Parts: sequence; C-alpha cells; structure tokens
Amino acid sequence: MGSSKQDKTLIESKSLHVQIKDTSVLKGLSFRVAKGEIYALLGGNGAGKSTTLKTFLGFNQASSGAAFIDGLDVSSSLASVRKKTAYLPENATLYPHLTAKENVEYFLSLAGLNKSASEIENTFDLVALQKDAWERQLQTYSKGMRQKTAIALAILREAPIFLLDEPTSGLDPVAIDEFNQLVTELASSGATILMVTHDVYGACQVANRIGLLRKGELVGEFEANQNERIDTEVVHAAFAQRQP
Amino acid sequence: MNKHLIREWHFMLRQSYVLVLLLCGFLISSFSVLTGLSEIDSQRETIERLKTADQLDRAEAQDKHNAPGALAYYSFHLTYSAPSNLAFAALGERDIYPWKHRVRMLALEGQIYESDAQNPELAQAGKIDFAFVISALSPLLLILLFHDLFASERASGRHELLVTTTESSFALWGARVVVRLFAIFISLILPFYVGALINNVAMTDVLILSLWCLLYFIFWIALSLLIGRRESSAPRIASILIGFWALFTFVIPILGDLAINQSIHSPQGGEILLTQREAVNDAWDLPVQTTLNAFTATHPEYIGYKHENEGFDWGWYYAFQQVGDQVAEPLSIRYREAALKKHQRASFVTLLSPTLLIQKKMTRLAETDALAAMAYERRIREFHKTLRMTYYPWLFSADKFNKSNLDLLPQFDSTTSGTTYSRKNE
Repeated sequence: MGSSKQDKTLIESKSLHVQIKDTSVLKGLSFRVAKGEIYALLGGNGAGKSTTLKTFLGFNQASSGAAFIDGLDVSSSLASVRKKTAYLPENATLYPHLTAKENVEYFLSLAGLNKSASEIENTFDLVALQKDAWERQLQTYSKGMRQKTAIALAILREAPIFLLDEPTSGLDPVAIDEFNQLVTELASSGATILMVTHDVYGACQVANRIGLLRKGELVGEFEANQNERIDTEVVHAAFAQRQP
Repeated sequence: MNKHLIREWHFMLRQSYVLVLLLCGFLISSFSVLTGLSEIDSQRETIERLKTADQLDRAEAQDKHNAPGALAYYSFHLTYSAPSNLAFAALGERDIYPWKHRVRMLALEGQIYESDAQNPELAQAGKIDFAFVISALSPLLLILLFHDLFASERASGRHELLVTTTESSFALWGARVVVRLFAIFISLILPFYVGALINNVAMTDVLILSLWCLLYFIFWIALSLLIGRRESSAPRIASILIGFWALFTFVIPILGDLAINQSIHSPQGGEILLTQREAVNDAWDLPVQTTLNAFTATHPEYIGYKHENEGFDWGWYYAFQQVGDQVAEPLSIRYREAALKKHQRASFVTLLSPTLLIQKKMTRLAETDALAAMAYERRIREFHKTLRMTYYPWLFSADKFNKSNLDLLPQFDSTTSGTTYSRKNE
C-alpha cells in the first residue's frame, strides 16, 4: 500500500455545499483523489457519504462549490462525466430474471459498448465469478456473486474512475477479502476509486487514504504509509470519538 | 437507435407480466371486434330480411286493394340506416337510436318516436365494442404498463446504475417507451385490422382511426410518465393515474350529461307521440271542414278538394293525419333543436375528456353517432314527404289513379355513404 500514486487529480470536491430540501447535507466538503488511488470516505449514518457520491453522479446539485471528475465540472458536463465513471451501487440489484451474461450484455449495450463473449468471460474469470453461474439467472445468486457481476460490468465499461457505494455491505468475510483484492488490483492497473463506507476495518484494508466525514464536513484524513495499511485502531478511535 | 429498440424489444419479451398484459389486451380487443362484427352482421341480416318481407307485404297489399287511400293505408315502407363498414368498431348510438322504421303514409311523428329498441336493458348497458376497449379499457393497460417505468427501477435500486450507464436518455427510457407503445398498439389494433379487412373498410378510415388510437395512447403514456417522474412510489403513481382515468371515463361524462340535461330542456318523444295521436283522434269528432281548412293552409293547391259525403273519405282521413303532424310539429322541432344543441354542448364536454373525445371521433368516422341518427331521421322525413307528395294528387285532385301509377312510389334506399330515396323507373 502506498500514498497518492500519481499526481493527476481525477476526483475533486471543492468546497462542496449540497442542500436537500431545507437541510444542508454537505457543508464545504473538499478532498481530492489522484489517479490510481483508492479513497474511502468514511462516516456514520447521515454523515453525507451517499449524498457526496450522488453529487458526483449528477443526481444532486451543488448549492455552492463544485464536484469535478477528471477536471470536468459534474454539473455542466454530466454526459462526459458519466462516460468516465463506473458506479457500483450498495445493493447491486441487476435484473434477477436475466443471467449474469445477459445482464452485462444489456448494460453494455445501454452504454453503447459492444464486447465479445470472450471479453465478458475473461472479466467474469477476473472477478472470480464461478463459471457454472454465468448462465444462471441472478435471482439464484448470493449477494457476493451479484456484486462480482456488477464489478465485472464496471470493469468492462473501461471507465477510469470507479464510484463505489458501501461495496462490502452485507458480504461475508471471504467475499469481502475477494472484493478488496479485486479493488486493489483495479487500482494497480490505473483505476481511480472513490468508495463510501461506514466499515472502518474494510476501509483500512483497501484504501490508500481515508476521509472521515461527519455531518457533511470532512473532519479528518488518514493516509497509508508506503507499503503499509492505515492503522485500523487509529481510524476507529477517531471514528468513535467523533460520533455524536 | 435500432440497436436500442431491438435490445429493449428482447428485454420486454423476457418480462412475463408485460406479456400477460399484452395478451389480455389482444384477447379483449379480439372479443370486442368479434362482438362488433357479429352485431353488424346481425343488423345487415335483419335489414335484408325486412327488405324481402317489406316487398312481399307491399305487393300483397297492392294486390288486395285498389283505392289509393286503402293502398296507402295498408302499404308499409321500410326505411333503414345501413351500418357503415367501420360500424363494427364503434357501434356508437346504434343501440340507442333506432336504425330501422317501417313507415306508412299516416301521421309521421308518432311513427318516428315509437322506439324500436329491441332490448332496452342491453341498450342501457352498452356493448363492448372496439371503441369502448380503446377509450375506456386501454388506458388501464397503458397505466399498468407505464406507471412504474421509473418507480420499479428506483424500488429495486437499479435506477441510478441505469441512468449512469446509459449513453443517452433515449437509449434507455425512450427505447423502452417506444417498444412498449408499439407492443400494446399492435396487440390492441391487430384484431381491428383483421375486422377491417373482413368488412372492407376503406384504407383512409383505417389509417385515420389508427392515428386517433395512437394519439390517445401517447396521451396516456405521457401522463403516466409525467406523474411517474414526479412520484417515487409505484402504488401512489398508479392511484393518481386511476384517478385521472375515473375522472375522464366517469366523472366528466356523468357531470357533463347532467349539466347538459339541466341546461337544455327538451320535450320527450312520448309527448310528441301523444300530441300527434290526440290531434288525429280528435279530428274524428271535429267538423270535416275544420280539418280540411287546416290541411289546405299548408297545401293550398288542394283548396278545391270536396269532401264527397258525410261519412268516411280517404282524403279527409289523410288530411287529418297531416294535420296531426302539423299540430305536433312545434314540439318535434323543439325536440330536434334540443337534440342538436345537446350534441353541440356534448362536443365541448369531449374537449375536457380525452376518453369522450376519442369515442366521438370513432363514432363520427363510423357514422354511428347521434349526428348519423339525426341524419337518418331527416331522410325518413324526406322520404315520407315524397310519399305524401306522390299520393296526394291521387287523393285530393282529379288525377286519375290506376295501379300502374304505383311505379311512381318512392323507394327508400340505404347505402353506407347515406340513405337516399328515389322513385322507381326514374
């Protein structure tokens, strides 16, 4: 594990204020994620994690400040931004009546991409989705398998930036390990990853940097030293201490 | 664009509930077309049967009687409004207004307002014709198909993934809407096309009706999408849309009908019938000259007519039949003016309800609306007037009558483009 791998900033939140109805959810949030970095935005319920992610996806409008993806302002260049990002929702609910292959083909077609069967199968291999499950409907899948399918889809989209919403929520420990390994490999291959999570241990396992979010404000940042993971105890203490 | 449509077509075919809905639509539409075809066939058979019986009856009367008065009294003349080729799709007012009358040269008003509805209960309930399926039932299918287009994706957590993945809005929502619209349109309209083919409906009528249906479907889809965009709960969206459906299908038509009937007062058909019959019956007790004076006031060319004896005379008899119509005429005119005014006001009400509007458009195209019924009534009056004008010289002037003159009697003729009358050998 290391700190910021490359200098180029691909994800940036600049004094971001987001108001939903009458409530200020994000209050001047600022952080940057460099190319090839895994940044975990850690916070409890109502901290503003999902709002941050949805602002980067263009579902929320900033009342002031801005969110940037690869230098593009999300609010004014949404179509270009979405082409550069692959989003993994918390509950990767793809279509349960379709098989993994059909789901991936469907979503790739939506994105205007055409991938060969071998490219799809190779990606399924990469995310360690069992071969005998490829032609099965997703309604027979465990949550971990659905997550792998969604990650395969994100990889096949060849987007340089991944936005992950509580990606390990509800996964068993083995599946979490597999997932963390996969995310680390993705980052090693140049992908930039912003994940929001309330899982302190999981964030420390995988992230290069962790931003601690509380009531819409960034209250602390933790960075891994070269080849070392972020100290879980330190982050946990900060997380617990700062909870209301 | 095609790849998105093809993808969504295949996707739709994998959704069993959509297929069930489409199948339901197809079956209901097929049933309505079959009902319409069967009803129109039955009306055509009835007309053919009556035409044959009418000719036989008249020939028999003409054999038996020699005096023009007796011939006019015992000869019935069939008038009818033949259904258009498109009538099977929109039976319209044909189960409310009569479409056949056997008239004699007696006072006409009573003959017109004797309703010949064979089954009033059925007339009240109406029939499930294609127009009913399109106007009243298809919105329900469209609501079921489109109300949760967004909400189902939101509820299952796919909405954001879909929106962030798709290359354009059309690639996802546009293609889904077009594919579903096409599927429901075909499932509902296909049985109509088969019916139109069987009944030789003009291509332009088929195209116009298809266009109206398409526009109507687009209205309901647009409403579903508009509300579906604003609301997140599918049951709530469905409830709002069902509310609109009830408003357009029941509330506006019922309130409109009430308002029109409250604002336009019209005599009843029975009142006209009674007035005319009383005038005719009273004439038996009035001095002959009183009746003849009233008659010659409208037919001065027969002022020289002389009542031959103190007893019964055919000229006097038909004169008081004519006078019976004259007495009932102001009521009859008020009735017809009120009917026309009601129809015009109803046209304004249709602008508030797309359901009523499409019914109106379909029944107008099929010539089965109130206007068509009024036109048929006008043609009966014209035919009856010609019948009188043919007989009157034989009854009231010195014109010699012999049976060969019967060839001059008018013949009622009905075609889909309108009913005409003509005289034989003309």
